[in-house]
This record gives sequence, C-alpha cells and structure tokens, in this order.
Amino acid sequence: MTFVTVKNVSKVYRPNGDDSAVHVLTDINVELQEGEFVSLMGPSGSGKTTLLTIIGAMNQPSTGQVLVDDIDVYGLSDERRADFRLEYLGFVFQQHHLMPYLNALENVMLPLVTKKESSKEKRIRALAALERVGLASKAVRLPNQLSGGEQGRLAIARALINEPPLLLADEPTGTLDTQTGSEIMEVFQQLNAQGQTIFMVTHNPENAALGHRIINIRDGRTCRENAAQVGRVFETIVGAAEPNLMELV
Amino acid sequence: MRISSIAWANLKRRKGKAAFLIIGISIGIATVVALLTLSRVIKEEIGTQLDQYGANIIVVPQSNSLSLDYGGISVSGVSLDASQLKNEDAKRILEIPYRNRISVVAPKILGVADVEGHQALLAGVDFASELKLKRWWQLAGHKPEEEQDLLVGYDAATQLSLIEPTTDGSSQAVPVTDTSITVYADGGPHHNNTEQRGFRIIRDRLQVAGQEHRVAGVIAPTGGSEDRMIFGSLAHFQSLLDKPDQLSMIEVSALCIGCPVEDIVKQISTQLPNAKVSALQQSVRARAETVDRLTRFAVAVSAVVLVIGALMIFTTMMGSVVERTKEIGVLRAIGLRKTQIIKELMIEVAAISTIGGLVGWAAGMLLSWLILPYFSQSGVRLELDPKIAFGAVFVALLIGALSTLYPAIRASRLDPAEAVRYV
Repeated sequence: MTFVTVKNVSKVYRPNGDDSAVHVLTDINVELQEGEFVSLMGPSGSGKTTLLTIIGAMNQPSTGQVLVDDIDVYGLSDERRADFRLEYLGFVFQQHHLMPYLNALENVMLPLVTKKESSKEKRIRALAALERVGLASKAVRLPNQLSGGEQGRLAIARALINEPPLLLADEPTGTLDTQTGSEIMEVFQQLNAQGQTIFMVTHNPENAALGHRIINIRDGRTCRENAAQVGRVFETIVGAAEPNLMELV
Repeated sequence: MRISSIAWANLKRRKGKAAFLIIGISIGIATVVALLTLSRVIKEEIGTQLDQYGANIIVVPQSNSLSLDYGGISVSGVSLDASQLKNEDAKRILEIPYRNRISVVAPKILGVADVEGHQALLAGVDFASELKLKRWWQLAGHKPEEEQDLLVGYDAATQLSLIEPTTDGSSQAVPVTDTSITVYADGGPHHNNTEQRGFRIIRDRLQVAGQEHRVAGVIAPTGGSEDRMIFGSLAHFQSLLDKPDQLSMIEVSALCIGCPVEDIVKQISTQLPNAKVSALQQSVRARAETVDRLTRFAVAVSAVVLVIGALMIFTTMMGSVVERTKEIGVLRAIGLRKTQIIKELMIEVAAISTIGGLVGWAAGMLLSWLILPYFSQSGVRLELDPKIAFGAVFVALLIGALSTLYPAIRASRLDPAEAVRYV
C-alpha cells in the first residue's frame, strides 16, 4: 500500500531574485510503500536533504505535491502541518540535534510536551522508547555523557516516541565511526522488521543497501532505483558510472 | 514534561544570562518603585503641609442676601430669613461616604455685639476643631478652657487696649499646634515673663454684650479677618447672640492628596440640601498642580528607565533567539507549533520578569527607606503596600512580554528545515 507519494516535485531557490534561480530538485516522483525501508543516495548538493525535508513537511516545494497517508501535506496550514509532523513523522538528524541541557529521558519526551498526558504516562512511554534502543539504563544521563552511538540511538528513541508511521533519517551515521554506525543501522533494521516505514538519506552504499530500495538522486533528479541486494546495488551503481561511488566500491 | 519544563531547563542552563536579565529588570523596577514611592511620600507631605493652611470647603446657609464677611467668604447675616444651619448639620457632614477624608469640621456662629462701646465681630467656635484648623495661629496667653474664655484678634485687642507693645519686639506667642509647649501670658512651664515678640497682654477681662469674659489669649497678627474678631465658645456665643443651635457657616478641611474635593462637595451638598457648599478653588488647584508636577516628573523618569529596561530585554532575547536557532528549529521540526514556541519563550521571560519585579520592588522599597530622610522633614512613614508589589511585578511582566514579543515571533517563524540543516 502506497504510504508516501511525491508527485512532480520541484524546488527552486531564488536567493537574489528571479535571475539567479537555483534548481535544487526537478520533477521528482517517488513512492514509498507502507513498511518499506528506502534509502536515498546521491552526491553532496544533489538535493537529498531537500527532498527529505519536503517529505518531512517542513519545506514547501516550488511545484508538485506530497501525499502522506493520502494527506496533501502542503495543503495544510502551517500550524496544522506542525501537528502533522508531530503525529506522522519521526526525524533522526545527522547531528542528532539533542538538547544538551535535557537528560536522555527528557530528550525523548520532547515530542510529548504538547500531549495532554500525565507526566507519569509520558515517562513510561519515554522509558519504553529508550528500552527499544537499549538505553533504558542511561535515562538520566545528559547527551554529552553518552557515546556517539548512544546519542544516535537516543535520537532514534526521540523520533519513535510518538510511534510515527514514517521515520525520516538524514545521514544518521554520517558523524559516526564504522562500528557505531553499524549499531545504528541495526536499530533501523530491527525497527523496519517490526513494520516501521523508513526513508533514509545516506552517503554510505553499505548502509543504503540495508534498505529494500535505493533511490539515486543527481543534480536534483532521481536517476535510478535499485533493488536492495548488495551485489546488485553495487553493480548498478558502477553501471551508472558515478565516479565518487566507484571510488567507494 | 511540558513546554514550561523546556523553559525552566533553559533558564537553568543559561543562569548567567537569566541573572543578567533579572538584575537589569530589578534595577529598572527598583528605580521606578523608589521614584514613585518618594513622589507619593513627598506628595503626602506637601498635602499635609497644605492641609495645615486651613479649610478647603466652606458650608454656608442658602441665602439671597449676605451681610457679613469672614475670611474672604460672605456669610448670612443675623436677621436674614434664609434657611439656617444647625449644630446637627456639622455632625451630619461626618456621615458622608468620604468622611474618612475629612480631617476637621469647624462650625461657627457669627454676629456683631457691643464690646465696651465698640461694635465688634464675634465668632462662636468649637475651639478644639478651630485651633486644629488654624494651625498658623500663634497665641499669647493660653487656650480657652472655660465657657466664657475668649481669644481676641490682634487688631481688636489693640483697639480694646488688651495689649501693649513690648520694647524688645518680642511676645510670648507660640503656634497653637505645639501644645506641649503652651505658654501662658502670666507665666508657664517655659516662660516666666510675658515680654515676647512685639506685644504683651495687660488686661484679661472684657465686657461683651454686657457680660464679663476672661481673655484667655490674643492671636498674633495674621493679616486676615480674624485680627478684627473676638472668638468665644460656640454654645456661649449662640446664647449671647440669641441664635441658639444656629450656625453661620461650617469650615471643612479635607485631607486632600489627589482626593476628589469636588466629590466631597457634592456629598456634603446632598447631605445638607439647604446649605451652599463650595470648595476654595485656589487652594485645591494649588495642591493639584503641585501634586501633578511631582507625578509627571516621576512618571517621565520612570518611563525612560522602563524603555531602557525594555530595550535591554529585547536585545538579550534577540541574541538568545539567534543563539538557539538550531534548538528552535528542532522543536519546530518535531511538531511544535509557532504559538508553542512563542509560549516557551514567554514563559522564560515571565519567570525572569516576576523574579526581577519582586527583587526590584524590594530593592526599591529599601532604596526609598534609605533616602527618604533626605527628602522628608516630617518623617512621613514608608508603608509596605502590597499593591505596589503587585504593580511592580505587573509592570515587569508587561515590559518583559512586550520586549520579547518580536524576538519570540521571529523565533517561531524560523524555517525548521534551514535551522536544522545549517546551524
């Protein structure tokens, strides 16, 4: 069942007026099925994060339409779109963007601040989310008292606290070493195995290959979709003659 | 965890900045509280001093013709057929709603009588209230004690040969308000002679309307109509002038710092429908003008201080918003509404303002207490008025909210995608 539909989306920035328009995305069409784990790859500046934030209901496209669960995301008012993000989406950022002055439990509870639940209920839910990523024992630690991998898992727990149907991740292993990055990817795989729909931006072909599909984007256009079996992905990418990826291979 | 939890956590995290803002607001509020408190105290003192200059409301009978003049005020004559004021009317004045603003009610009966061959203006008064009202009087002799004791104006005493000038220009006259050092013409606790400032009493018996009276004291020259008058007790003069229970006029002194004199006049008029009640406008206007100038000065300086305080909060909060762009972007990205971002910043500034307001109020009161002796000679008491404390907190909150509104709106409009991506 199609859960996310990106229809003919383009994004044009005009930092200095019409004369200097920057076409970041051009006529993008993407579909995500419910329970699918899709990776988005592409070189720096290709528009990956822009597409992620457009699907993430916080970056209005210049043209086109984004439907999530048949909701026209950009047909909503700004405030309703904030409610939509709270209800439908979980974000995992590259820098994790944890609040340094809140402990792990409080960071996880952040998306619940507007919920009309008792503090006790919120704590129970937050602890459950921490349990899911294996951080229940470090609930009262501040982010700077956690390792990089733990911070990444904490960011995932925060994204999951509202049990959003769609998890969006922007290079979640980008700042981590290989070992720690693998831990994070394991968490993603486990979540996906439990039915979580995931859309992940990554530079790392091995991580990308852990998804069901890889969408390649280049110069603001989707150029190829690949089935996510490692050998085939690499073959396809090599076949696509993308120099930087060839080097990686 | 609620939005307020984020605000508190932020305050705890940025203790230095919060302390800086609290100190800034406190200084502003302390200055305003001190200025307004001192202004109020000075106003009260001026008001008290002005009230010592006498009555500011005059009550006379309704009348078509007037025959006597007293203190620049014409009063009904002896034989007019106007409706008369009664002793009871003086008491009824103290039943008006604003009775707590009235400090003195001084009823009078006026009339003309033969005094040792001269026609003299007699004024029957209640000495207790009259001497309280005429605080500028200075008496040679003592206060009347008996029913037939008199106080005689300087001109009348001269004409009736009750006094004679002294050679060294001194008299024993002392202010009537200073009861603890009352001086007696024939010797007293602090003086053993009568030779002071210009005159002394040489005769203390006087025939008024054929009856002998004792001259208790002579009023030192005032330059007013009382110099030509003879004052006796109200009941006795009512009897002597054959006007039992009647009053010619009632002088009223209202304590009047910003008090509604016109309202008091209306209330007395309602209470005494047969009387003509009027405020001495000159006195009232002079008081109002003095009070207004002080208030305007205090308000102007306060406004400047508060504007400076508001600019300080504005600058700090703008800096705070810039500093927290990423954090605000994350909050927006995870689904907080614009209004919730504004609310979070407003809670922070409200907490800071409340503490700043309370600290400022306390500091302002302390400051007032310390510098009050340099401004007030009469030792006006400083009161811990809870209304000022509430006012201080309210003003601090208002200034805090107004100065944070724009930074908060700006924060709420941050593009979450940009804020998260580039900072």
